[in-house]
Amino acid sequence: MENTLKISSSPHVRSKTSTSDIMFDVIIALIPATVVGLYNFGLHAALLVAVCILSCVGFEALYQKAMKKKVTVLDFSAAVTGLLLALNLPPELPVWMAILGSAFAIIVVKQLFGGLGQNFMNPALAARCFLLLSFTKYMTTFVYDGVTSATPLTVLKQGGSVELRDMFLGFIGGTIGETSAAALLLGAVYLMLRRVISPKIPLVYIGTFASAIAIYAAATGKAVVDFTLAQLCGGGLMLGAWFMATDYVTSPITSVGKIVYGVVLGLLTFVLRIFGASAEGVSYAIIISNLLVPLIEKATAPRPFGYGAELKGNKAEKKDKKAESKTEENSEATSGLKAPMDGKGIIKAIAAIFVITLVMGAALGIVYNVTKEPIADVNEKAKQEAYKEVFPDAAEVVPVTDEEIGGYDHLNEKFLHEQGYPNDTIDEVCFANDENGKTIGVIMTVTNSNGYGGDIQMVIGFSLAKEVDGKVQKRSITGLSFLSINETVGLGMQATGEDFTSQFKVPVCEEFTYTKLGKTNDTEIDALSGATITTSAVVDGVNAAMHIMSMIGGYK
Amino acid sequence: MYGVKYKYLFLMKKWGIFMSITFKGGIHPYEGKELSEDKETLEYLPKGDMVFPLSQHIGAPAKPLVKKGDRVLVGQLIAEAGGFVSANIHSSVSGTVKGIEARLTVSGSKMNSIIIENDGAYETVEYHTNDKPIEELTREEILDAIKAAGVVGMGGAGFPTHVKLSPKNADEIDTIIINASECEPYLTSDYRRLMDEADKVIEGLRIVLRLFPGAKGIIAVEDNKPKAIKLLREKLGGDTDIAVNSMKTKYPEGAERQLIYANTKRYINSKMLPADAGCIVHNVDTAYAICEAVREGKPLIDRLVTVTGDAIANPMNILVKIGTNCSELIEAAGGYRQEPEKIISGGPMMGKALYTTDVPITKGASALLCMTKDEVAECEPSACIRCGRCVSVCPGRVMPNKLARLAAANELDEFIACGGMECCECGCCSYVCPAKRHLTQTIAGMRKLVLSNKKK
Repeated sequence: MENTLKISSSPHVRSKTSTSDIMFDVIIALIPATVVGLYNFGLHAALLVAVCILSCVGFEALYQKAMKKKVTVLDFSAAVTGLLLALNLPPELPVWMAILGSAFAIIVVKQLFGGLGQNFMNPALAARCFLLLSFTKYMTTFVYDGVTSATPLTVLKQGGSVELRDMFLGFIGGTIGETSAAALLLGAVYLMLRRVISPKIPLVYIGTFASAIAIYAAATGKAVVDFTLAQLCGGGLMLGAWFMATDYVTSPITSVGKIVYGVVLGLLTFVLRIFGASAEGVSYAIIISNLLVPLIEKATAPRPFGYGAELKGNKAEKKDKKAESKTEENSEATSGLKAPMDGKGIIKAIAAIFVITLVMGAALGIVYNVTKEPIADVNEKAKQEAYKEVFPDAAEVVPVTDEEIGGYDHLNEKFLHEQGYPNDTIDEVCFANDENGKTIGVIMTVTNSNGYGGDIQMVIGFSLAKEVDGKVQKRSITGLSFLSINETVGLGMQATGEDFTSQFKVPVCEEFTYTKLGKTNDTEIDALSGATITTSAVVDGVNAAMHIMSMIGGYK
Repeated sequence: MYGVKYKYLFLMKKWGIFMSITFKGGIHPYEGKELSEDKETLEYLPKGDMVFPLSQHIGAPAKPLVKKGDRVLVGQLIAEAGGFVSANIHSSVSGTVKGIEARLTVSGSKMNSIIIENDGAYETVEYHTNDKPIEELTREEILDAIKAAGVVGMGGAGFPTHVKLSPKNADEIDTIIINASECEPYLTSDYRRLMDEADKVIEGLRIVLRLFPGAKGIIAVEDNKPKAIKLLREKLGGDTDIAVNSMKTKYPEGAERQLIYANTKRYINSKMLPADAGCIVHNVDTAYAICEAVREGKPLIDRLVTVTGDAIANPMNILVKIGTNCSELIEAAGGYRQEPEKIISGGPMMGKALYTTDVPITKGASALLCMTKDEVAECEPSACIRCGRCVSVCPGRVMPNKLARLAAANELDEFIACGGMECCECGCCSYVCPAKRHLTQTIAGMRKLVLSNKKK
């Protein structure tokens, strides 16, 4: 007598891999990049990674419980989203913003659209773009070794040069996970060995992008190999190509579709990076391409085995698509089997995809370029006005290079940081000359990054020591003006007022300090009420400028 | 060289490169062949009553010729073909007819069957042998012998062979393929047939070739059976009419359309027959049965069954008399090493699960697979993550995840338009799905609905 037998429909065997296995493999593959990120950026980065993963998992569990659905956090998909989101964030981002991003990714982009498998856009990237638009300053502040600096891509865009080995290994600034191309490639190889991802999309993506970059570099006279490699290692390209573009849900499921998707991504990233406003184009390129995926799938649906074979007699052979499409329209033989899309249709659909891609990229690029000059002009005008304001006696203002002021490398950021001013950078140093061409003063443009609302760019005028009526007048500050300041209206913005700036028009000292208790001498500045951070930032900037001034010897 | 346009094969012969041919897609499940492939075949004499369902083939059920109380002999015709597409049924034992009643079959349904009590004597009717050389056999002789013997496709489908060998476009047939790939895991009966009776299989193929002058033969064997390939090639020597093709080992290498494509590069779809591509495909056992029918005059009364699985003590192949009860076979194979959770008639990919072993072996039942664990019950289906594995393994090149979604939403027209009827229900998609979704079942259900609608 047998025990109870189980019955089910065939097939009766299953492969060993499950959804959670795949997700877990992705987490493992991201570990090298995470480790490099934590090494580079320290504790706050580790906190962000932990917070993102926990909040993504937490929000998914909460949502599913609230909607009386089965809680599926054990399939690790929320954890993967959390980790990917964290790796896309700058290392010093406030924790509450990371939590908000996680909520957006899981609840809005994923769960509201139907949960696992139904999101129309990559949740981690969508959340990153959401944060980018809402908290731009925080999302674009990158530190390295505790020092705020531009990412290598920004440097490249401004025409500078970068250290390739650092970029490949990851000793540069950037978001937590994107810095080390080497670590990311290691993870990608693991995923390919485990057959989780196919190299098709990433290789086509990177290949298209690299070709476009190389052609661009050759056309604009840059060092082709260096520029291309730098573009490949910089920014989120490696992270995006291997981990975000290969996300199952938002990439095409058909074989040819993957290739089309890769090309679209490559082109869009190229256009956005080179002709767009920001140096980083990968995130937007990927989410825009995600929107094109349903169309790509429709256009590249596979032909069923033996499709149309009965129309050619018994020696049926695969003919080219054009011939088949003609006979399809004429006969009933395929009885209901729709042409997946005949040759003309596929070409039209794919052409539409490319046109949309290029038009969007071009539109963004054109707007940026068309407005670049007028913006630059306006900025230049503001600068000249500021110069006039801080040094009204100057007949002309002449920018100078490092050599001319003693070769101190002042304009190199690291120099100032090493001197004890990690948050300041000197943007420009100018000589103020009188009608006879004699230098009577120095104008410095300083940026301090520790304002409440971000960077504060100020212009400070210094008069050189001179004899007036037989008495020697020491160097002093002739004026303080602001080129860029985004502080709180009514509080920090009061810094631009005469009451505050006039406090600085005193002889140069070792260092200004601020006080809330009422200043007692000229080296003290009365803090703005309710705006200590702004005050501190401005004072720090002025101190940095004074420090550099003191090194420009021979003009005492 | 061959009527077959296949340049790889030509190159292979020319350069002596041993290359395996195949199609796009397919999976590589655990093969399980080592359990039974090298064991000696057991010839089993049944103990209990023999049950002969009247429909062991595609087409009209056979009409019984005996009634309760009649004495029958081995090889006696007990039911004759009930139409053009139908087949004869013969008794595999001598004894007395107990009656004709509805009995459970391996397909899960009850069917009218002839019950015969076995007297153990095995008294046999006289067989008419035929030793004429191949060239002198006439078409009628061959087809009559096959029809009389009740030979049907032994691969499981059970299509009456004499009908298959009389296609409308007989002069366009240029390739006869013997399907020896045995791609279903665990099954080794075809392999054993090749190893033990290669001569008769080849003779069967030659007889079929005689029916189609100008045609060439191919024996398609998967490359996980190197001994069989070697043996066949030795036996065939320099025969230019028959080739032995080595196929890449994967499932479903033996699926008819994919097999024809891999061997001849010709396509057929679900609306066509192999004859439309100039091919006829037979299972190894069918070729053997053809030889027995024509040369020995023996009707189809026994077949090889692989009794295997990790729940069986001595997995092996058994030469079973048609009509034997499955529970006897399990005993013959040593009984259960461990209580099974699932018993399957056929292979694990397309076989049917049984809820009892109290069913008879029919002409199309090729295996009894007893598994200690049911892999399907272990996993709960979850959401589709659009990973695309099902699309990449589907031999029919359709999109199973899309078809399953349309089937679940009852969208008949869209289902057909997206190629749902091209699905051969091989099971590759369900096998590979990491979310453990029941894709094959959903699609198969919709296909049944569409077919039954068509019939109305």
